[in-house]
This record gives sequence, structure tokens and C-alpha cells, in this order.
Amino acid sequence: MSDSETHSSPAGEAVIIGIDLGTTHSLVGVVDSGFPIILADAQGERLTPSVVSYADPENPRIGREALRAAETAPRVTIASAKRYLGRPYSDLSDEEKSAPPFRVVPLNDGGIGFEIAEGRVVTPGEVSSEILRHLKGVAEAALESPVSRAVITVPAYFNNSQREATKSAAEKAGLTVERIINEPTAAALAYGLDKLDDEQTVAVYDLGGGTFDLSVLQMRGGLFEVIATAGDTQLGGDDFDAALATQIAEQLDLTDLSPQETTRLMAEARKAKESLSSAESYSLRLPFFREGRSYELEITRAQFEAAADSFIERTGSICRRAFAEADQKEVGSIDHLILVGGSTRVPAVQEKLKSWFGHEPNLSQHPDEAVGLGAAIQAGMLCGRVRSIVLVDVTPLSLGIETFGGLMNVIIARNSTIPAKAGELFTNAVANQPSMAIRVLQGEREMAKDNWLLGEIEVPFSPGPKGSARVGVQFAIDRDGILEVLARDTATGGDHVLEIRNSAIDVDDAEVEKMVSESVDYAFDDMNERIWTEAKLKSEELLPAVEMAMTQVGAQLDEADKTEIESAAAAVRALLDSESRDAPALKAANRTLDEATQTLAALLVEAAFSQE
Amino acid sequence: MANLFAVLGLAESLTLEPEEVDRAWQALTRESPPQSDDGTEDSSEIHHARRILSDPVSRLEHWLERHGIALERGSSMAPDFMDLFSQIHEALAKADSVYGRHEKATTALTKALLSREAIEAQLAVQDCLSLLHQKKSRRIGQFAAFEEASQRSEYHDAATTLGQLKFLKKWEQQCRERLLKLIEC
Repeated sequence: MSDSETHSSPAGEAVIIGIDLGTTHSLVGVVDSGFPIILADAQGERLTPSVVSYADPENPRIGREALRAAETAPRVTIASAKRYLGRPYSDLSDEEKSAPPFRVVPLNDGGIGFEIAEGRVVTPGEVSSEILRHLKGVAEAALESPVSRAVITVPAYFNNSQREATKSAAEKAGLTVERIINEPTAAALAYGLDKLDDEQTVAVYDLGGGTFDLSVLQMRGGLFEVIATAGDTQLGGDDFDAALATQIAEQLDLTDLSPQETTRLMAEARKAKESLSSAESYSLRLPFFREGRSYELEITRAQFEAAADSFIERTGSICRRAFAEADQKEVGSIDHLILVGGSTRVPAVQEKLKSWFGHEPNLSQHPDEAVGLGAAIQAGMLCGRVRSIVLVDVTPLSLGIETFGGLMNVIIARNSTIPAKAGELFTNAVANQPSMAIRVLQGEREMAKDNWLLGEIEVPFSPGPKGSARVGVQFAIDRDGILEVLARDTATGGDHVLEIRNSAIDVDDAEVEKMVSESVDYAFDDMNERIWTEAKLKSEELLPAVEMAMTQVGAQLDEADKTEIESAAAAVRALLDSESRDAPALKAANRTLDEATQTLAALLVEAAFSQE
Repeated sequence: MANLFAVLGLAESLTLEPEEVDRAWQALTRESPPQSDDGTEDSSEIHHARRILSDPVSRLEHWLERHGIALERGSSMAPDFMDLFSQIHEALAKADSVYGRHEKATTALTKALLSREAIEAQLAVQDCLSLLHQKKSRRIGQFAAFEEASQRSEYHDAATTLGQLKFLKKWEQQCRERLLKLIEC
């Protein structure tokens, strides 16, 4: 069916487009004649890779063109920028700083930059903005009219800063953001559009390239209500690729990868992953990979699954958490478990979900397009092209302020229906105190320092004796999940918006210099020492655990397993004692021992349950 | 003091069923949402009203506030709470200890070594939860009597019960938080 010619040409300015801004690829859609559709670009493609190449900094390339540039110019081709969006540099793990082939550097304001040329830096927001501008162009070409308004999806578990960063990236691209909508919620709209008379409780399992969300929704006669949501904004199919690439590099004995080599290896790992969704094995080929030498390797599906296993397990505990919270709200059992996001194509994901929850996963939705279609439906609702749907969402994270003793005092609890408002009253602790600084936080941890610091607000007091000033502060989370803080002086009755200052802004130049040089050194300096320390800790955790587990359930193992474990443990011990401090070898030995003890671990869990 | 019953168009009753609250909220949510002062849509008040009125404890508190009764502080420890307190304290500490070690563990094997303890902690917390549930239900069962007493302007029992219910609710929340954490073990 061809769609580009059949649009009922809408009045240009009134149309609102829906955009799925993904970690690995993005889409744009619109509602046409009551149905959501994804728009294709001039080449007929609906998926735009979320990649921007700055080989020519004045003229960045976006999408497939940029992807082609990645192999020749990996250091200036930015992929997965969404992972870095709206986060401070201090939040990044070593892996996130050093793994990409491009350079990740700290900025003066505490934010993150990508160095695309000597002295030239772009931010994750600017990269996202390029992608959004490109999608706006795709929509304008397909609709043959200018477009300026959009609905944009974000991972449900995005915090306030990540949402704000998405919104301002869109504004920079010339788009007015009419609504930010959560990705799993959007997918539920796509799923439920033709079931408006039904009553169902559904869970949407959304595992994309870089983020994971699980949302439980109740659909009741056109009312879509999110009951609970949980997720991880740094967990996705990218991690599968990276884990597989590491494994491949180790098996081929390839160390000290250059940016080009990393990019090629990651691309190959992704190909292997995709192929292993249907095939049982994959022949990996890296022609002329290093110094003219070619490499080949056979990878089985089981090997890939072992690499991806810990990530899939993480999604499991997030699911159980959200299900338990939905259960506490007494919504009744879940009728359908809907899978969306490209990474749900991995058979191991589907199999695990089935074994964990006993549900045959619902695969009715297109894994890549459901979120984009949902964004289009929400856009259609806002411009009056879709009626009879009402959507109510929740805030994924608790909002609070820091109180005495560095504790977090929750003001709006996670999974509260939004928009939500809550007030707190503040008073002066000493006479004529001009103001009071309050740290605003998001997260679920007891200690303030373990949560995300959204910033500081300065509550102003009118002069007077101790305890005389009374200022009510209202925290409001709007429909987009974005926070606004208002202060009301109870004496004057005047309201004003309090600016949430990013407190990372105080980082001084020397500090930034230091962070920059550290970030540069990551890739080259004492890498062996870091890996060694990490691996040694792991060995010291594993060896006594093996001993204890063997005394508890070792008798149930067959001889072959026992010998395998013992020799793997002996290998680890030998490396620990050796003078050479061979970090990669110790890491590999740990992994062998880790794998050899899988049966042992399973026996322990089984034993624990049978004692009940 | 805003009347949250009125926000949802409900009678000011302590003995509301959660279904009645939900029906009222649904009807309002399906209509065009209420406008705030500056003319923008704002449904935060109806969401807030639903949350407060769906939960018996916060409903009782709101109902008492509407009748001008403030919560008495300090006098709400019921005699049967002391034993419960130590039981809960022990269960929570056990849960924290297992969870703490589980978080530090980096291998499947070290995590598996903790599973027996994790199950025990889970059962202990669940025991506490069912005790708390019993004690809560008994007190919620008195709501009709509180309404009757209010006809005679007597609120003492309701106010004392609110204090106790708030304790029970807080413990219940702490137990639930621990269960959510233990799910990961």
C-alpha cells in the first residue's frame, strides 16, 4: 500500500506530528483519516538511525548517511547520544566515558560534550536536535506542508533533567513540544486503539537500544491509565552488542582496540545478534581487521545468550518490582504482556518472560514502530483527529527535598498520577534570614546523596524575627512529567516561579581541566591496573563462595561438573598468586569460573526454595 | 481546607467504598478536565482527591480535619503495638541485611548463596504485613461507629484510632518497600 500520495492535505500549521526519538533509531508519524501512520523519507525508509556525523562540522550528516560515515570517521560520528542526554558528566560510569569511539568530555557547566574536532564540542542535546530537525524535514516532505508542533516520546523512567533536555532539543530544532509522552504508554495506545470498548490490564515491556521500561496499564473503555512504571535508562540492546563484542575480542585475543576497530567490532556484534534471533549460529568475519590480518569466528546462539544474560535478568527484577507495585494498588491480574522495542526480538528475552511470568508474550505490535505510532495517536488526540481516548500517566520517580541528616523527604511519591501538586511550608530559622537553599531530588533511596540532584531552589524570606516568615512552596509535576516549583509568600500572597539551579554549574575551570585530562587518559593509562583490581575483587568474592556452595550442595553435582569447577577455581588461584598480574587473563578465568558454577548457583536457589 | 469529597462530587462519608471513589474520578477524568486559574487544564486536584479518599487512613484524617479535629500527637501507641514493633523491627533489619549483601555481590554464585536468607526475610516481612493488615482492618471496621458518634459531636475514638492507623500505615509502607527490594534477590 502506498501512503505518501493519499494524505488528505491538512492545514499545515494545525498538524501535530508524533516523534519517537530512540537511542538507536527514530521515527515520525501522524494521524491520517483516523489512523496513525509512520512517514517515510525520500528513499522510502521509515526508520532513521539516531546517528549524526560531524566529518564536516559545518554540515553534519544524519541517519543512514551518518551511519555510513561511522566506519571511516568513527571519532566524529555520534551514536546513542540519548544515553547521555540530560545527565551530568559526574553521573557517567568509566565504561560510558571510555567505550564509545568518540571522545566524551566534561563541560564547564558540569554537562557532557562530545569532541568532534580540536577545541570543538557538541552536546547530546545538540546531537538530538539535529536528529529532530531531520525528522521534521521528513514529515514536511511527506506531508508537503510546514510542521512546527510535535509530541515526543521519552523513556518512562526518564527523570526531570532528561525530559527537560529532550524538550529543549526539540525547541532548538524549531518544534513546539505539545506533549512529552512515555514510550511504553505510547505503545499501549497503539495496542489499544482498536480495543476501545474492552477492559484489560496490560503490561508493556519496552526494551529498546539503550533504555528499558515496564509499565502496567489499565484500559477501561477508552480510558488508559498507567498504574505503575519502572525501568532503567541505561539498559538496552546496545549492552548486548557491547558484551558480545567484548567476548569476541577476548576470544580472538584482540586487545587495545582503536576507535575504528571498536566501531567495526560493535557493528559485527550487532549483525551477529540480529542474525542469531533466527539462526542458531553465525560466522563472524573481520577481513583485513588488523595489520592486514583477517579474523573469523563461529558464534552460537548460546554464546550470545550467555553474554546478554545478566542484562535480561536485570529487566526481570524491574518487571517484578512494577508488578508488585501494581498488585499493591489492587488492579487485578495482567491480561497481556505486550512486547515492544527492537531488543524484544531476541528469542532469549521472549523465552525468559514466558518462564518468569507464565504469559505467552503478546507480539501483536511492531517492535520498532509501536512507540512512534502511539506518539502519532497522542498527537492526533491533541489536534482533534482522534477522539474518545483519555490518557492518564504517572511520575516514575519520587520527588523530594533534602532534610536534616542528609535524608530524602518524599513530597510526591513515585507512581503518583500526574499532573500532581504538593506543598511544603518553610520558615526562617534565624531572625532576618534572607533566604534558604533547598535541594530538590528525584529517586527512591533513603539518603539524599544517593538520588539524582535536580538542582537547588532559593526560597526568599521577608525580614523578621525567627519563625515569622512563612513561605509555602508548591511542587508541581505537569503532564510531561516536568517539575515546576512555585513559592507563595503567605504574608503577601504573591506567587513566583523558583528557578531550579543546576548546582553542577559551580565546577571551576581547574576541576574541568582535571576531568578532561582524566577522560583522555582513560583509554590509555593504567588500564591494566584498573582491570586487575576489578578482577581481583571478583576473584576474592568468587573463591570463598565456591567453597561454601560446594559444602552445601556440591554432593549433588556430577563428577564432570565438579572437576570443571575445581580446575576453573585452581586457574583463578594460580593467576592471583602469579607475579605477572595478567589482568585480561584473570578476567577471563573469572568468567570461566562464573560460567562453570551456573549449575551450582541454580542448585542453591532450588535448595533454598525446597526448604520452605 | 478544601473539601476533597466535594471535588469528586461525593457525600462526606467515612464509609465510602474504593469503587465509588474510582467511579466518580473516572467520570470526571473522561469529561473535559477542570481548568485552573490561568485557564490551562489542571486535573491534579481530582487525582489528589482520589488518592486521599481511596485510602481509609488518609480518608479518616481528611474527614476529621473537615470536622475541625487535629491529630493528637504522642498518645497513639496502642498496648498491642509494642510486641508488633519489635517483630517488625527485626524483620526489616533482616531484609536490609540480606539486600545489602546482595547488592554487593557481583556473581550469580554469591547471590545464590543468599537465596535461603532472602526467602526467610521475605516470609518474615510477609508475616508482619498480614498482622498489620488484621490490625488495620479491625480499626477500619469501626468507621461506621465513628460516623454515628460524630452525630453527637464525639470524635475522641476516631482521633485516637487515626493516630494508631498512621503508625500501622507507616509500618506497612516500610514492609512493602522491603518486599520490593527483596524481589531483586
